[in-house]
Amino acid sequence: MQFCTACQKAPATIVIMDLSGGSVTGQQQLCAACAENMGIVQKPTSKISPEILEDLLGGLKGKGPRESAKRRETACPGCGLTPQDFKIKGRLGCPRCYEAFRGELVPLLQRVHEAATHRGRLPGRAAAAVPTVDPDNLADLRRRLEDAVRKERYEEAAKLRDDLRKIERGETEARP
Amino acid sequence: VSKKRRDDKPPQVVLGEWLQGKGPEADIAICTRVRLARNLQGFAFSTRMGDQEAAEIVKFVCDRIGKPALTEAPNLLDLDVLDELDRTVLVERHLISRELAGSKRPRAVAVDAAESVAIMVNEEDHLRVQVFQSSLQTEAAWRRAEALDEELMRRLPFAWSEEFGFLTSCPTNTGTGLRLSVMVHLPGLVWAEEIEKATNTAQKIHLAVRGLYGEGSRALGDFYQVSNQVTLGRAETQILADVALAVGRIVQWEREVREALLRGTARIRTLDRIHRALGTLERAQILSSEEALNCLSAIRFGIHTGVLDGFEVAQVNQALLLSQPGHLQRHTKERLTADDRDVRRAHLVRELLGCDP
Repeated sequence: MQFCTACQKAPATIVIMDLSGGSVTGQQQLCAACAENMGIVQKPTSKISPEILEDLLGGLKGKGPRESAKRRETACPGCGLTPQDFKIKGRLGCPRCYEAFRGELVPLLQRVHEAATHRGRLPGRAAAAVPTVDPDNLADLRRRLEDAVRKERYEEAAKLRDDLRKIERGETEARP
Repeated sequence: VSKKRRDDKPPQVVLGEWLQGKGPEADIAICTRVRLARNLQGFAFSTRMGDQEAAEIVKFVCDRIGKPALTEAPNLLDLDVLDELDRTVLVERHLISRELAGSKRPRAVAVDAAESVAIMVNEEDHLRVQVFQSSLQTEAAWRRAEALDEELMRRLPFAWSEEFGFLTSCPTNTGTGLRLSVMVHLPGLVWAEEIEKATNTAQKIHLAVRGLYGEGSRALGDFYQVSNQVTLGRAETQILADVALAVGRIVQWEREVREALLRGTARIRTLDRIHRALGTLERAQILSSEEALNCLSAIRFGIHTGVLDGFEVAQVNQALLLSQPGHLQRHTKERLTADDRDVRRAHLVRELLGCDP
């Protein structure tokens, strides 16, 4: 068994090779602890962070028995913007923030514009030309995404999330 | 007073829609701009996205508006590919914002050859659609912007809601997303010290009056832009009517003040000011941006009030455009320090005004 070249104590589990011009010019065997200390590998996280989960779910908040930090309950399900971020920057993070922060937004709009509802043109007829989305397929995709996250199949979840986004943007038709 | 023109012509340059100097009230109202803030469904707003998503937006938008090319804005420019000087030139031609030029995120702009349309991609909003129309032509500018917006809606899924209208990154643009601006030249109001009164009056009816050149509230060369503040709760037609009415009054006010400045005891002071400006531009060997703008403003005033003949507004407009740092350096095809630019600027303005260089 090869021992770690750094601490000489623990068994080496990681091999670092220096490559130059297509050939190996140097080699190091390290144990997991030393590799981590050197910043070569990242400590594997047993639990996925709330931010990553939030990103993966991308708006599936409020469903399922996930343990959720308090901030996530009030953050925008679309982009994760918190009410505090909004207060500090005065900018919204995504279109869905308008619903998420409706409570804060309406009085603000009233102050700025002396009105809180739109009068004027809307996409209407022209927007109808943008591919529409079958809500059933969307719901199905969301269910599968949630399931994938719960079972920690993150690669699959990420792909499902991208599919969902594409459909929401009207890039592709929803698939069953 | 008439000015001898030399036979050889100064460098000719294409003036965009901005500086055409044609149309109603063109002596005071230089240009009308309609700007629409639009965002796409399914993406975070530009201010809250990473580089990868920003690149996706640029690709997505450019695919949709580039194939087939929009007739209104057929030329797509990747701002990452352009060098800093070219981006500065676009800023000085009012086609992109200084913020977009200096931004680190992937971004683009679609323009037309006449420089009457510029669609910024990944500014504060995913799209900032701008339509320019020379002089005071709010209706014409709006009709073109509306048609362009319709075309864009057929190609892109804009974010909107029945309640809030078009959804924008900043709540100050929500609703119509429409900012209608008219660029005005107000030397009369400035010289007669009535500009503050005019500005305050405009603010009372929710219009913003800002300096066109220079930072903050300083208005160099007496150029201002008047625009609506409110974008929500008023239909576009109402916003158009409000701005057109207010600008019409400001134009009228400016005319009255100009007449007063050329009457009675005020006249000789006004003539002195215009001729001193001309003297400076004809003789100066070192000319800062600020001094150039102030003198050119006086010359423009002198031409429009008939005090100076032998000059054309087009010459002044060219000088206004070409004496800016980016254009100066592109003209000379070399990087120049601020001091070098001041020397070049003095030379260029003398040349454009037909004086002995």
